[in-house]
This record gives sequence, C-alpha cells and structure tokens, in this order.
Amino acid sequence: MLAYIVRRLLQSVVVLFMVILFSFALPYFQPEGIYTPAYSVLGTHATHANVLAWGAQYGLNHPFFVRLWNYIIALLHGNFGFSYKQGQSVYSIIATNVPRTVWLALSALLLTLVIAVPLGMLQAQRRNSVFDYAGTGIAFVLYAVPSFLLAFLLIQVFAFGLLHLPSQAPTALAPWAMFTDPVAFILPVATLTLLGVAGISRFMRGAVLDVMVQDYVRTAKAKGCSARRTLWKHTFRNALGPIITLLGLAIPGLFGGALIIEDVFNYPGLGYQAYNGALNGDLPLVIGITLLVAIFTVLGNLAADLALGIVNPRIRLERSGK
Amino acid sequence: MTADLITQDAPTSVEMPVPMWRQRLKIFTQNKLAIASVLYLLIVTLFCFLWPHLHPTNQTNQNLAINNPINQSPNSQFWLGTDSSGFDILGRIAYGGEYSLTLGFLAGIVTIVVGTLYGMISGFLGGVVDTVMMRVLDAFLSIPYLFLLITLVTLFARTASLLILTIGLTGWWGTARIIRADAMLIRNLEYSQASVTMGASKWHIIRRHVFPNSISNIVTVATFSVADAILFLSTLGFLGLGLQAPQTDWGTMLQNGAELIPNGYWWEVYPLAAIFILVVVAINYIGDALRDAFEVRLLER
Repeated sequence: MLAYIVRRLLQSVVVLFMVILFSFALPYFQPEGIYTPAYSVLGTHATHANVLAWGAQYGLNHPFFVRLWNYIIALLHGNFGFSYKQGQSVYSIIATNVPRTVWLALSALLLTLVIAVPLGMLQAQRRNSVFDYAGTGIAFVLYAVPSFLLAFLLIQVFAFGLLHLPSQAPTALAPWAMFTDPVAFILPVATLTLLGVAGISRFMRGAVLDVMVQDYVRTAKAKGCSARRTLWKHTFRNALGPIITLLGLAIPGLFGGALIIEDVFNYPGLGYQAYNGALNGDLPLVIGITLLVAIFTVLGNLAADLALGIVNPRIRLERSGK
Repeated sequence: MTADLITQDAPTSVEMPVPMWRQRLKIFTQNKLAIASVLYLLIVTLFCFLWPHLHPTNQTNQNLAINNPINQSPNSQFWLGTDSSGFDILGRIAYGGEYSLTLGFLAGIVTIVVGTLYGMISGFLGGVVDTVMMRVLDAFLSIPYLFLLITLVTLFARTASLLILTIGLTGWWGTARIIRADAMLIRNLEYSQASVTMGASKWHIIRRHVFPNSISNIVTVATFSVADAILFLSTLGFLGLGLQAPQTDWGTMLQNGAELIPNGYWWEVYPLAAIFILVVVAINYIGDALRDAFEVRLLER
C-alpha cells in the first residue's frame, strides 16, 4: 500500500511539472511574446526601453529554461511569483482568496452529494416511474442552463421576488465574513448546488443501474438477501466507486463554476482573481491560481484513489499484490 | 444538424450486419422524445438560417439600430421587441443563433476528431506511449477548463474561427479518455487478437476493428461535445469574451438581457433563454437516445 502511495505521489509530481511547463510555455505564443502584458501594465505608449526594464524586473529577460528552473525553485520555497498588476505577491493574493472560494465550493459540493446521491439511487430503483422521469427531466433542464443564467434567474425569483434574499455575497474581505453573514451565501451556494445535482444525480442513476444488472446483485437476491440489504451492501457500495473517481476529477470544474458564480454575485475569490488576471494579462497570478487548483486536483485524485481502495477491497488487494 | 450525425454513420452500417443496425435505428426512432428533439433542432436551425432572409432586419449597423426605439416591448413592428441597442430581437436571435449553432457544432467536431485520435493512439499502442500520453492528459485535466479557455481567449483574438479552435482544442480531454478505454477494450478482444495472429498491421486493426466498434461511443460523445461547446460559448459570452460586436452569439445576448431582468424587460431574455435551454436539452437528449440505441445490454433487458 505504501509503495502504491509513493508511486502515485511521484506520478502527481510529474503531472504538476507538466502543468507548470504548459502554463509557462503558453505565454510565449502571444502575438508579441512574453512581453505583451507590459503594454497593459505600462500603457500602450511605453517605449522599448521601458518594456525591457519592466521585463527585467520579472526575470523575463532570461531564457525559457532558466525562468522555468527559477520558478520551480521559488515554488518549492512557497513563492508563487509576483503579480504584474496588483503590486503584491501572488501568494498573498491566493492566501486572501483561498478560504473564500474553498468555502463556497466545498459547501456546494457537500450539499450536492447529500441531494444527488440519494436522488440518483431512488431514481434507479424506481426506474421508468413518474418520479424517475421528473428527476431526469429536471436534471436535463438544469444541465442545459448556463450557470450565469441560472444565477440571474434565482436572483430574480428569490432576491427581487419571493424571499428577498440578498442578491450579493458578502463583499467584506475578511475570510470569516462567511460565518457572520450566512444568509448572503444561500443563493450562490444554491446555484452551484443545483448545477452539481444535475450532473451527479444522472451519473449516480447510471452507476446504480449498471450495478443492478450485475451477477452478484442477482446472487444476493437469490440467496434471500432483503431488498434493503441488497441495495445498501451490494448495489450502493459498488456504485460508489465511479462517483468517488468523478469527485476527484470534478475539482477543476468546481473552481471554474465558482468563477462564474463569484462574478455574478460579486464575491471576490480565486475564480474572480483568475478571471481579472487573465483579462489584464496578469500571467503570474493566473499561473499561480491554475497551479494551486492543479495541486488540489492531484491531491483530490489521490484521495479518491485511496478512498476507492477503502470502498472496494478488490482494488486494495490488487494494489498490495503488485 | 443532428440529422447529419445520423447519416454520417450510414457508410459504416454497410460493414455491420444490417439487422443489428436496423434494430438500433428502430430503437432510436421509437423514442418519441428523441424524434421531437431532432425536429426541434431542425426547426431552430432552419429558423436561424432562413429567417434573416425572409424578414431582413438590420443586425450589424449600430447607427441604424439607434434609430429604432430601444428596449421596446413586443409590438406589430418588432415581434419580440428591441434590445438596449435598438436591434430587433427576433432577428437578433436568428443572427446570434447562426453563430452559436455553427461555432458550437464545429467546435464539437474539432473536439471529437482530436479526442478520438488521441484516445485511439494512446489506448491502442499502450505501454510507454500510453503512459506518457495519459500523464499529459492528467495535467490537462487538472487545469480548470474555464481558466484555460479565458486565458487563451484573452491571449489571442476573438474571431469566430479562433473561438472554434480554442473551444475545440481544449475540450477533448474527456473524450480522449472515453475513446482510449474503448480502444484498449477492443484491442484485447478475441477478433482483434485473431487479426494480430493472422499478421494484420496495426493500422488495419484500428481501421477494421477498433474504429468501427467504437463508432457508437464516438457519435454519442460527439453529440454531447456539441452541447457542451454551445454552453461554453455562452459562458464566454457572459464574461464578455464572446464574439465582438457587431457580431453576436446567444451567450452575449443572454448576458445583456439578464442584466436587464430587474428593469422588467422580460422579452430581452426569456424567449431566447427558452430557445437556448431547449436546444441544449434536445442535443443532450439525442445523445442519450443514441447511447440507449447503441447499448447492446439494454437490448437484452
């Protein structure tokens, strides 16, 4: 098991290295090379000498591999570089924004699971019933609504119409705003949750249906196992595998979704920062945030893999055997 | 549009046993909702491409548009009212739809071509090539798709063709995984192994066994890719990164309309929202119906 974890960690390092390589190489393909952001920082009338001096501040005058090496070494010291636009280190920007986005994304994810997993199972159990069709229909529509539109519609109905919920998330910069003003989080979290439920309930339904036709479920029924026990001990546990894998893979999407929600609800977080960074050509910020999400994802995938071993003893045996 | 997807398969049906193919087509056509979805998409597509010719409205000249009363509610002259720039909304839905549907469709095609090639090569060759290709894919998969899309769109210009390429070339990670799994599975099946024994080349096995047998998955995934591409394009429109004025797409229009919901200008967002959501629902439903039709296990149930 330990050997397996070490091997997976090494793989993760390789993956992260590729993310760095990719996000480092991409800016070189801009119309005017890596110096392009200089014009959005210094203004369009900056002289050639200004641009070069600006670039030297950020080490842009070094060759690609030297920059890459310096970046990785700095990264190992917890230094994500310096923002082109905001006059502070990327690390400090990330540190302010991480708790806010993680809070938003995690609470939505938990709610999604609590709703979507039982929903998908019930739908699979009562396949082709009115309940199943209604659930599928709603999921289909929710899946087709662009997240920003759903957010606007929810604001229209629940902020301006029925309940007068706040239409904006708390804008106070302190990370604990989320605890002092929970009502303001209802709409952003609800939007993200609805979107998540649409995808995961359908996936869960499919996973349970796949398991329900397996031989071991038939065997369980044949040996006189009660319906409830068959469902929880045999079907549920096996259907959980794909969901766990999916959750690990869903992390980048979660941050992408948070970007839209943060924008609509005026809630400064990682997505908001990444979006504005991209608009302003603030590449160190975008790369830093991307890398952070990649780290989360890699860890999430690893956690999902280990959880899979806990849920499914066959996988555990397979790994320790190798 | 989707009719094309179905007819594209026709040549391969020659290689498949005909009754099987018929059976699958029958399952699909028996699905009333799937047929309704195909019809709906046809109607919307025809509307988008024909309506501007049947009832020409100014959709490009901002100056002329300003002469129209802005934010006008539906009336006999402007059937769906005018928007905040004075453009006729019904005409604009058709105009924006041309872009959204074309871009979404083409981006979906790019996605499926790249994803299929990548997945097939990786899954079929296996070994070191597969390991390297999969680690690269892992790296792509751990980058938030929307971040990448936004960065690319801001780094490069926002013309229609570049948007197709950007959405298409960044949307194939998931597709590649699915096709790879298929390729690995089929490669190890008895008939592929038999071909190997008989001295068939790799290319022959890909062409005669792997590709025809994963075509069902490819078509299904392609359908979903088109729906996703349309959604991502609308998200870019919301972020102000869609097509540049005077061109427009449904996402940009939805964004402009949604901002005006509090003013009570319902005609600027709800009609288009309904059309848009139903288009994506229809495409996804067709994808689902295709998967059901292709699923052999379901035949036995």
